[in-house]
Amino acid sequence: MQLIVTAISKAYANVQAVNKVSFQINSGEIFALLGPNGAGKSSIIRMLVGMTKPDSGSILISFQDQHYDHVPRRLLGYLPEDRGLYPDKSIEKNLLYLAQLHGLSKAQALVEMDTWLQVFELTERRHDELKQLSKGNQQKVQLIAAVLHKPALVILDEPFSGLDPINQEKVVEFLKQLKARGMTVILSAHQMAMVEKLADHMLLMAQGQVVLAGTLEQIRGQSVDKRQLKVAFEGAVSAEHLQQLPAIAEAAADGRHWLLTLAEAVTVSQCLQQLLQLGELTQVEMQNTDLHQLYLAAMAKHQPEAAA
Amino acid sequence: MISRQSLIVAKWEFLRFFKWKQQLISYLLMLAVMAAVALWSYFTDESRQQYRIAVPAGFNIANTEQFQFQRPGISLPQQLAQMQTDDSWHAVLTEQTDGIVIHTLTGKKWLLQLEQVLQQHYRKLAATQMGLDETQLARLEQPVTIDTDFLDQNYKGKDTPEKMIAMGALILLFVGLSTAFGQVLVSVTGEKQQRVTEQLYAILTPQQWMDGKVLGHSFSALKAMVTSGLVMVLVFTVVSLFGEKGVDLSWINLSVVLWLIPFALLGVVLCAAFMGAVAASIDDPNTSGKGAVMMITWLPMVFTFLVIDSPSGWAMTLLSFLPLTSFAAMPVKMAMVDVAWWQPLLSLLLLLATVWWMRRLAGRVFLRGMQMYGKEPSWGEIVRWALSNKTE
Repeated sequence: MQLIVTAISKAYANVQAVNKVSFQINSGEIFALLGPNGAGKSSIIRMLVGMTKPDSGSILISFQDQHYDHVPRRLLGYLPEDRGLYPDKSIEKNLLYLAQLHGLSKAQALVEMDTWLQVFELTERRHDELKQLSKGNQQKVQLIAAVLHKPALVILDEPFSGLDPINQEKVVEFLKQLKARGMTVILSAHQMAMVEKLADHMLLMAQGQVVLAGTLEQIRGQSVDKRQLKVAFEGAVSAEHLQQLPAIAEAAADGRHWLLTLAEAVTVSQCLQQLLQLGELTQVEMQNTDLHQLYLAAMAKHQPEAAA
Repeated sequence: MISRQSLIVAKWEFLRFFKWKQQLISYLLMLAVMAAVALWSYFTDESRQQYRIAVPAGFNIANTEQFQFQRPGISLPQQLAQMQTDDSWHAVLTEQTDGIVIHTLTGKKWLLQLEQVLQQHYRKLAATQMGLDETQLARLEQPVTIDTDFLDQNYKGKDTPEKMIAMGALILLFVGLSTAFGQVLVSVTGEKQQRVTEQLYAILTPQQWMDGKVLGHSFSALKAMVTSGLVMVLVFTVVSLFGEKGVDLSWINLSVVLWLIPFALLGVVLCAAFMGAVAASIDDPNTSGKGAVMMITWLPMVFTFLVIDSPSGWAMTLLSFLPLTSFAAMPVKMAMVDVAWWQPLLSLLLLLATVWWMRRLAGRVFLRGMQMYGKEPSWGEIVRWALSNKTE
């Protein structure tokens, strides 16, 4: 399966929700849409699901040598942001209904249901009404509903929202299982730590536009704002001496170590040469900026008022 | 064609509101209430008791099963005093120049029956004074039989079993549409509020979804009509068992009943589709005023009822062919007058075409309405959606 989105735009009244966004997703990948509220993530998802149509641009999907200009419903598993099922029906009845609508026989649905209920430790509660479950467990049932029919493409809008850290980890494991089963996953999220563990590719958005795109490493490469080195000297070195070096933009003491922010356009080797002029180094460690910091930095650059 | 997914939705919607235990309990409760009313009526029936009535000396009136007329040998004040202190008398009668006075403690239902007996007595007295015998008096009291000869051979007559069938059909349609009204409103607005909408939209088209809902709720309405019809027949049978003639169901015109089924089915589908479209445009049923519009679907029954005594008139003819009202009017007309075979057939075909159009219209409104949260569309918007070609 391959999904190619080319320059899609969508406007609602006077608001440009999505502005010429392009990306490509290959089979078996986990693709994350990131961005603050109102960035345009859900608008893109609604266009992918077919609830709305792009004003311009195209969505092309190829699956088993067939090409479509929209995502066919039979290939799709969807967890909407605005979600809910039938609260006065049991887990089993809810899931059976949705699975049968997806075209599964009752027997097939029960087999798939057993597997996923075990993954989420809900087997014992399959006859409980949905309203008797905690919010987290209800969300797990929704996730199962989205994948029960083994879709080629799973679109999950904010799958981590409303979950405690333990359940968030369970969703991470769930997503890994989807990938292992060959499903392609598109998710939108705010939980950067989770996305960092999972996503093969990601798209950072702000105000309907793409801010950063690519793999985590590619995004780190694109985001040159804050490259940091953690170093330790054999002898004593003062902050004053460090800040006088042209390669250093900022120096902060961290116990016996120094956390140094490199000046713009300075390479790591140039920085190290200048540091060695101050004394012998006993430790040098490149600080990888995590996705959360990259996200905040990108937002600060693109949308300073929102980041503040 | 109805898709497999629509049938799954239809089954889900039907079973979602089909709570047989609760329905059984409600029927049992209804029977219990009816039994309680019957028992109460039986035990409080004063006509089965005997009453002692004191009459003046010389007042010759024959006793009946209910009333024992006695002439006590004590004065009127003593009689009245007795009536107040013990139950020697239930009433004391005194004559006056232009009639009679009944003295009694308080108002009772049996007093009416006593009045009737006394009226009869005075009529007989008057007849005797005029020299009439019993037979002549009976003839005077016999009401005249008035028959109407209808020259229109197709008209089956007024206040006939056929009219009962027609009224029954209207009542059953009303029951069915009331059932559909409640269920469609709860089902559609409930799914919007429970946020099931987007999940289902990713699985099936709005038209498939709408078709399923309309079918499911139509079957619920038909089920309500069938069970209500059976209850009506059951009650009639039970009442007949205690009557003089015994149980006789031969007046049920099976050909009318058979025609009623397709008309009722299509009528309910037509109305359920309209209700679905209106419900899809409602954001919150607690604050929206649009729900009342769904009651428009009751108008065909009301209009038909208003012209039920002129089944061959232009109004009934118009209603029986107009597709928005024919489902109620044609079965009623068929029950009351004989119609040519092509008339119900043509009416049914017109209705079928309208049902098809209404379901498409409802699907288009449903598509937009179900995606709308927090704001209700105006009637202008709803009409634009209904007339647009967008189905996905």
